[in-house]
Order: sequence, then C-alpha cells, then structure tokens
Amino acid sequence: MGTPPRSPDVLRPALEHLVKGIVDHPDEVRVRLVNGRRGKRLEVRVNPDDLGTVIGRSGRTAKALRQVVTGIGGRGVRVEILDSY
Amino acid sequence: MADTTTEVAQSGAGVDTDALFQQSEIAADYVEGLLDILDLDGDIDELVKDDRPIVEVVGAGLTQLVGPAGATLEALQELTRLAVFRKNGEHSRLMLDIGGFRATRRSELQALAKKVADEVAQYGNPVRLDPMNAFERKCVHDVINARKDVVSESEGVEPDRRVIVSPA
Repeated sequence: MGTPPRSPDVLRPALEHLVKGIVDHPDEVRVRLVNGRRGKRLEVRVNPDDLGTVIGRSGRTAKALRQVVTGIGGRGVRVEILDSY
Repeated sequence: MADTTTEVAQSGAGVDTDALFQQSEIAADYVEGLLDILDLDGDIDELVKDDRPIVEVVGAGLTQLVGPAGATLEALQELTRLAVFRKNGEHSRLMLDIGGFRATRRSELQALAKKVADEVAQYGNPVRLDPMNAFERKCVHDVINARKDVVSESEGVEPDRRVIVSPA
C-alpha cells in the first residue's frame, strides 16, 4: 500500500517546514531539490549552530526526516544535510 | 473517536497542566503545517491525559503518515517533540497518534498481553515477547502491572528490546 510518488514541488516545502520547526534559526533554512546523476536529492542547508540538532545523536533526527520524506511519497529521493557556509 | 473535546485527567501535584497543553499546542501547529502543505484533511485534537500531552490527527488518507508498522508516525512524533523542545526548552513526552493507529495497536497488544499473562499464570513459565518499541512495551506493561499473578520487565537494547512476562 505504498504512497503514490508525490511531486518534489511538495516534498521540498514539506521538508522545509519540518526542519524549520526544530531549529533555532528557521530563517536560515534552505531546502532545494537537485537532479543529480544518481537521482533526485533534497539538500537541506541550515545555520552551522543547528547542524547538530538536524542530524541528532547518531543521526537519529536525520533518519526521522528521511523516514517522513519516504512516507509522504519521496521514496528514492535522498536527503542531504549541509551547513550553509 | 467519540469525545474529541479537550480532556484533562486528574493530574498529580507539581505537574503544570498549562505547560502540557502548551506542548500539545506547539505540536498541533507543527503537524497542521505539514498537513496543509501535503493538502491532507485531518482534524487535530489536543488533550492532556495522565500528565501527558497527546495530539491526535483523524481523517482519511493519513496512512502515509503512519507508514509500515508505524515507522513514519514514530519519526513524526520524534520531530514533533523536538519542535516542542525548540519552542520552550522542555523535553516532552508528547504522544502523537494518526488515524487511530496507536489506539488500534494498543487494543491488539492488550489482547496479546492478557493471553500471554493467562498462559504464564497457568503454566508458570516466563514468556519473551517479540521486540517492540517503547509505546508498544508500555501497552503490555500496563496490562501486566494491573494483575497480581504475573510481572513484566523489559530487556535488551532497541530495536530488539522486548518484554518478558513471568509468574509473580
């Protein structure tokens, strides 16, 4: 009963919302969709101070973000978390 | 879901119910924002029960937010707790339920716990249950704790942590 693939046009703001809600500097959150050679990926850029929060202990938070992206129809879309500078 | 109104259980001394409501409000806003972006309809109820903030989302087409064996729901709950922490610095025990998934799972586990408890009480041998997440283990422990003839404990490390039911 998989979720039909959702347009990345929706995945991007959805992921942006999820990240903005958990960081200290929501205004500095940037999410963009990149069509790479190895497929689509969502690049998340945050203030360096928020990097630890978004990744989480042992990558726990990053994993949760990926799980939700997959759940809402982004199967196969990778999520990369970067600091913005 | 019958009563969807706000509900406050008797809270013990020292627990700030207002603070718990505030947590559920932050959580509800966070989840509602996601539903809006995904163009999903859902009624969001906020309540505090047994000193725990609860946010329940009810509606059609929400199974994608539950995921296989509730994996997406667990992920969303974790993010929601982080959203609460970011806003008011409190480590929240907030519970998120979507589409009645936890309610259904709880009744399945209550039935399982009762069956296992009866067997343990009858035959006197401990039984190890399958690995479960924290929510599922609590559902089992709650049933066992209410009985005098059996006891339960958890052992092992996530994600292989499991409940063991033994004779009292």
